[in-house]
Amino acid sequence: MASFFARHQDQLIPLLFVLPALVYVGYFAFYPTFETIKYSFQTPILSFTFYNYQANVQSGLYSWIANTLWLTAGALSLQFGLALGVASILNRTFRGKTVFATIAILPIGIATVVAGFTFNQIFPGTGAGYANSILGWFGIAPVYWLTHPWLAILVVIIADSWKNTSLVIIILVAGYATIPRTLYHAAAIDGAGPLRQFVHVTLPGLRGFIVMALLIRGAQEVNIFQLAYIMISSYPQLLTVQIYLLWESSGGYPYLASAVSTVLLAIVTVFIVIVILLGGRKT
Amino acid sequence: MSSPPPNPDRSAGSALAEPTAPSLPSEDGATGGPTPVAGDTATPPVYHARRFTLSNVGLYGAIAVISLFFLFPIYLIFLIGFTPEEYTLFSGRPPILPPQLTWSNLQAGLSATNAPFLPSMYLSLEVAFFVGALAIVIGIPTAYGLSRLGSRLAYSLTTVLFVVNMLPSITIAIPISVQFIEVGLYGSPISIGLTQELLALPVTVFLLVGAFQGLPRDLENQARVDGAGRLHAIYGNLVPLIRPALAAAFLLAWMLSWDESTFALILYNPASSATLPVNIFLAFTGRGNPVVGVAFSCIATIPVIILTVFLQKYLKGEDLAAGVRG
Repeated sequence: MASFFARHQDQLIPLLFVLPALVYVGYFAFYPTFETIKYSFQTPILSFTFYNYQANVQSGLYSWIANTLWLTAGALSLQFGLALGVASILNRTFRGKTVFATIAILPIGIATVVAGFTFNQIFPGTGAGYANSILGWFGIAPVYWLTHPWLAILVVIIADSWKNTSLVIIILVAGYATIPRTLYHAAAIDGAGPLRQFVHVTLPGLRGFIVMALLIRGAQEVNIFQLAYIMISSYPQLLTVQIYLLWESSGGYPYLASAVSTVLLAIVTVFIVIVILLGGRKT
Repeated sequence: MSSPPPNPDRSAGSALAEPTAPSLPSEDGATGGPTPVAGDTATPPVYHARRFTLSNVGLYGAIAVISLFFLFPIYLIFLIGFTPEEYTLFSGRPPILPPQLTWSNLQAGLSATNAPFLPSMYLSLEVAFFVGALAIVIGIPTAYGLSRLGSRLAYSLTTVLFVVNMLPSITIAIPISVQFIEVGLYGSPISIGLTQELLALPVTVFLLVGAFQGLPRDLENQARVDGAGRLHAIYGNLVPLIRPALAAAFLLAWMLSWDESTFALILYNPASSATLPVNIFLAFTGRGNPVVGVAFSCIATIPVIILTVFLQKYLKGEDLAAGVRG
């Protein structure tokens, strides 16, 4: 035993420095996560039950999952399309690049609730709003943005992409920096145009960064809450919004809300498992 | 203490060994970044620069459209803040340019009695400074430890922090809220701060790991040889050299807390005051006065816009992606 400590002393002391953070996240992140799973199988008198799940399935749990996943897929597509465009612009040299880079990350600083309110003023359900003001210039009749679930999800996708594309841009710009310039020169000499350079040089070079950014944003996207709630309330219903509404009306009993929370957690766990598997493969 | 540090944060690369080239767009913009060494593979493609061609027109067109997309909502925050309500919240066709300007929204919002501004702002500040300070207090030893651990173990522990960042806030917040109600900490600045730290700590640690890795290993060895204990070597010799990164980490954590609203909402005790974002949320979801939301939004946005511009070069892709390697 003593020799074990002697052999690993150079690792044990650094580990000791990390310990407070591990205790902290253990107590404040992982322990509550297990509590949620436990609550989801409990009645208010703490006996075991499946009722919390059954009741939520009756209220439309499957459609909440579907709406959340559609929103996630749409938002990720828009964000990655936009971020790839912006990152490839930032990979070039041009006058005003610093200013453009600053503009592209500004939304990171805007609070989610403020972004939600602003986009609610752009796309309200009343037929008013700034988007309709602009459409009006072209003689287009006012659109009632929240009357159809697809349209409502679309406007949330636009708002969320405004708020979060910056994060993807930052990650992809870091990825671009790892692609050797010589690859582009070689491709250009071989006669590859911008499009073929993008497909054969940029995308393979960015692959690890794109995958990681997709996983981070994917997990955050299914957690979208206040932005959606401020903009569309609960039509269509999303998992997080339902958790909040169930908790708020529960009078302090977390059981029903925890069942939906556990479902949300299961979806996020898929992203987490992929992250861990990818990480394991790389080391 | 004496001479300014040789900007160690600049060389900070990924959170997991393998430092990559400093990569933020602002650093190698039109003004030129690090001068390429002759024969270096990273020769910039000079043929792109400053030539007014058809493709440049397309480029600037795209830049203009994208910039407009990013700036327009920020413009709207202030337009709605300083334009009379009949041209904004209560207009069927709100004009894009303000027909007239007013202070009355701000005055009405800041003097509302159902969501008093000063206690709300005070709570937000208290929580944000607590989150920033705690991020530094826990972040320094954690980042130091991670930068000295073997790459395998460091990678596993980084992944743990990374996973924490991915867990749904609302899932965590509810059981914590149940517990805080039991111990009577519900709604206190410390309880909100302790939960928000979950979002701030991972980013802080990744940023500081990069800074520690950017320091020459000999600095610590030298101090230890001179008889300093490990703690003294860290806090006396290493920490002063990463002050810029520490300041950035503090401000980043501060900013995350200032904007955070899910934990703050679930842990909000209606009997006491709420943070600014929570009051904004309540104002815009039918439980408050929208004018309060408008005024609070303007005021909450100003410091974070400044901070974002200021912190730009510290927002590194490698940190945000927990040290992804290509």
